[in-house]
Amino acid sequence: MIRRLLVGAGCLGLVACGGGSDEAGEESIWAKDPFPSTYKPYPSENFAITNATILDGRGGRIERGTVVITDGEIAEVGASVRVPRGHEEIDAEGKFVTPGIIDLHSHLGVYPSPSNASTSDGNEATSPNTAGVWAEHSIFPQDPGFGRALAGGVTSLHIMPGSANLFGGRTVTVKNVPSRTVQGMKFPNAPHGIKMACGENPKRVYGGRGGPGTRMGNFRGYRQAWADAEAYKREWDAYASKKENGEGGSPPRRDLDKETLAGVLNGDILVHMHCYRGDEMVQVLDMAEEFDYEISTFHHAIEAYKVADYLAENDVCAAVWADWWGFKLEAYDSVRANAALVANQPDSCVVIHSDDPTGVQRLNQEAAKAMADGAAIGIDIAPEQAITWITRNPARAAGILDQTGTLEEGKDADIVLWDNDPFSVYARPQRVYIDGALMYDREEGVEPVFDFELGQSAREDA
Amino acid sequence: MTMLRTILTSALAAISVLSMASAQEGIVAITNGELHMTSPDGDVILDGTILMRNGRIAAVGRDIDIPAGAQVIDAGGNPVTPGFFASQSGIGLTEIGAVQEANDVSTDNDSLSAALRAIDGFNYDSSVFDITRAGGITRAYVAPNAGETLFGGCGVVIAMVRGTEAITEECIGQTAVLGESAARRTGGSRQAAFATFRRALDDAILYDQDPDAYAESDHHNRLSVEDARGLAPAATGEELLLIRVEGASDIRRVLDLQEQYDLDLVLVGATEAYRLADELAEAGIPVIVNPLSNLPSNFEQMGATLTNAARLAEAGVTVSFFDDGIGYTHNARLLPQLAGNAVANGMTHADAMRAVTLTPAEIFGLGRELGTLERGKLADIVVWDGDPFEVTVRPTHVFIEGEETSLENRQTKLAERYKDLKRAERPLQYRNQ
Repeated sequence: MIRRLLVGAGCLGLVACGGGSDEAGEESIWAKDPFPSTYKPYPSENFAITNATILDGRGGRIERGTVVITDGEIAEVGASVRVPRGHEEIDAEGKFVTPGIIDLHSHLGVYPSPSNASTSDGNEATSPNTAGVWAEHSIFPQDPGFGRALAGGVTSLHIMPGSANLFGGRTVTVKNVPSRTVQGMKFPNAPHGIKMACGENPKRVYGGRGGPGTRMGNFRGYRQAWADAEAYKREWDAYASKKENGEGGSPPRRDLDKETLAGVLNGDILVHMHCYRGDEMVQVLDMAEEFDYEISTFHHAIEAYKVADYLAENDVCAAVWADWWGFKLEAYDSVRANAALVANQPDSCVVIHSDDPTGVQRLNQEAAKAMADGAAIGIDIAPEQAITWITRNPARAAGILDQTGTLEEGKDADIVLWDNDPFSVYARPQRVYIDGALMYDREEGVEPVFDFELGQSAREDA
Repeated sequence: MTMLRTILTSALAAISVLSMASAQEGIVAITNGELHMTSPDGDVILDGTILMRNGRIAAVGRDIDIPAGAQVIDAGGNPVTPGFFASQSGIGLTEIGAVQEANDVSTDNDSLSAALRAIDGFNYDSSVFDITRAGGITRAYVAPNAGETLFGGCGVVIAMVRGTEAITEECIGQTAVLGESAARRTGGSRQAAFATFRRALDDAILYDQDPDAYAESDHHNRLSVEDARGLAPAATGEELLLIRVEGASDIRRVLDLQEQYDLDLVLVGATEAYRLADELAEAGIPVIVNPLSNLPSNFEQMGATLTNAARLAEAGVTVSFFDDGIGYTHNARLLPQLAGNAVANGMTHADAMRAVTLTPAEIFGLGRELGTLERGKLADIVVWDGDPFEVTVRPTHVFIEGEETSLENRQTKLAERYKDLKRAERPLQYRNQ
């Protein structure tokens, strides 16, 4: 899926590939966005961070390195890079530089602070298939949680509906830059995703409400919906070719749920599936083959370590917590070395995610724990590798790796300057840049105050 | 006055010295340790030695002779601390959060409240013990949740071991709730919550004065005899009253309550406690805070800040830590990470170290038995492979009452089983049992 979108690699499945969004330069009808991004980078100075320990997000570590930022983009990264004339030089002696952190599993904005019935907008738990809802329509851009995440070095977020439904709806990727509007946060050119859910949640929510009430009911629900979406897509494809041939006829009636699913089948929308148990993941892989779609990521993949070989073979990312467990039965077989065991497979893709407005603030600590827990069972993973779990890999999984996620020439200057080794509990972001613009500066007190907190006497004490 | 309350009475009697023959017969020496004494002056002794005998610390310091025949563990210069003590948890009550049959932390039954005893629901075979112990946590307070009422009953102090030897204190502290969630439980207003709370205290005091008369009287809307009996020790200041409360306005009212009644209070949650730090210090009320709480999740937490713990400690308030999310029970093992973040946000390392060792021991009346590396104390001791608060550091040895414990658990067994996924002679289920 990701390769198809970003690199245009050939499809290997038996059934012919869908058109894809970028073929012939014409936008797929399935990738149309009536709520387009209006995000524009904020003004930035040209600058260079020098003498830093750089973890570049590509698996590299550069001691006493330099990152040059020009016009909001990364211009150069290396050990012996000359600072161009006119660039301000920031001496980062003893400090660390990483790509901006990306949380692949966020509900900021859809379950914002304050948290109450008025703001609870994350689960459209009215039908097991709500593929037609879009998380971005629930986002409260004034969620103070965005600011807390920024102080933790988070520069992009992949925000999803909850997991009550088989098909929870469309996900959206945003730049963590405050805005009056959701469109003003949307990551330019990022593909949409769809949130799906395995296992306990859908059957718990719908078991007493007409189903699905079992795991086999879950699968019938997915497969029937895919079959219906195939038929729907055929209808639209037929209409499109008629139109191309100059024949008449009116367009088929739009169905928003099927539209999202057809977008998946066409390769325009990435699949993010909440799935704890390894055996369920492998059944989902077969289903994806049946309907010829690809899966970006299994989220909350507590048992990814049990099927790490299958995930690697199928090019599917495992997004995991470092150590959460026990809150439900399908989270009982968690192991602390999960991320490391998955990372230990060739061509694997590990993502450490938060799913939590507190955890998102310290994803570096989560990656650090998971790295150490690998070492504890003899899987040695270097910090420069572990950092990719919260930078490059989530960028890949969200379909934005061509724009962010690593420190590479030409990419968005989404950068964190840490006051210490980010794998230390005592480290904190000192500065956070998004597209080269300084959005957070701990020492200078540069940080957003969201409307909800403005003028509150309790905040004045804090 | 708040702390060290039960030391001279029931606490010592109730403490179980685990019957571990090998430890009692032999002497274990930890040498070359960076000893975090956590005693009130906060000393760290470099290149120190600890001798353990009969489950207790027999000697500690720099120039300790190691008796012949002692088992010697060279700490290699690494930190050695008292076992960490989780101030709040559901360990032994919650095996699986969302499996009702495996979760006894809370009840929807509102006919009983203060009479409940966590020990009745305690599962001596919980998998959480082994997993938590591997994180260097050797003791925990297990708190029942107030459910749909204002009082949850008494909790248990446990050692992180399997079986009945886990029980250190079987009924200590009365758990209670005020603030927003108490308002919800009492009809939607804080006025109702506080009035209900005071009425319950009054009833418990009446019961305490004359149990028979209380049982015979027929007032409506009163605490049941059982709940009045359960609450009486806390209502009369004989027992700890641990109140879950968040906002500064509510904490002010709790301080007023303490003036009206003779209460031995501990505040739990206390997101905005730093706003009343001087008053809390003056009143000698300890607080158990989540050092990661910094979101205005609701109006009573509008002032949430990562600096809460540091500011309280600075003002002289007794501070300990807990996590009311996943870290409450299953990840109580992450207590060191909580402490590390408190330090990252301004608390001193020594204060944070006491907050996870001596302070909880003192809060629960066990300060003379646990919480420091001082001679004579129960030998709950952890050797770490680096600064215990670092997220990349793990325990290498965990002693509970002088006995070295296993760091293996369900999770380490699963990881070992699935480390190599290649098809073998028999299925994975035959491996590493």
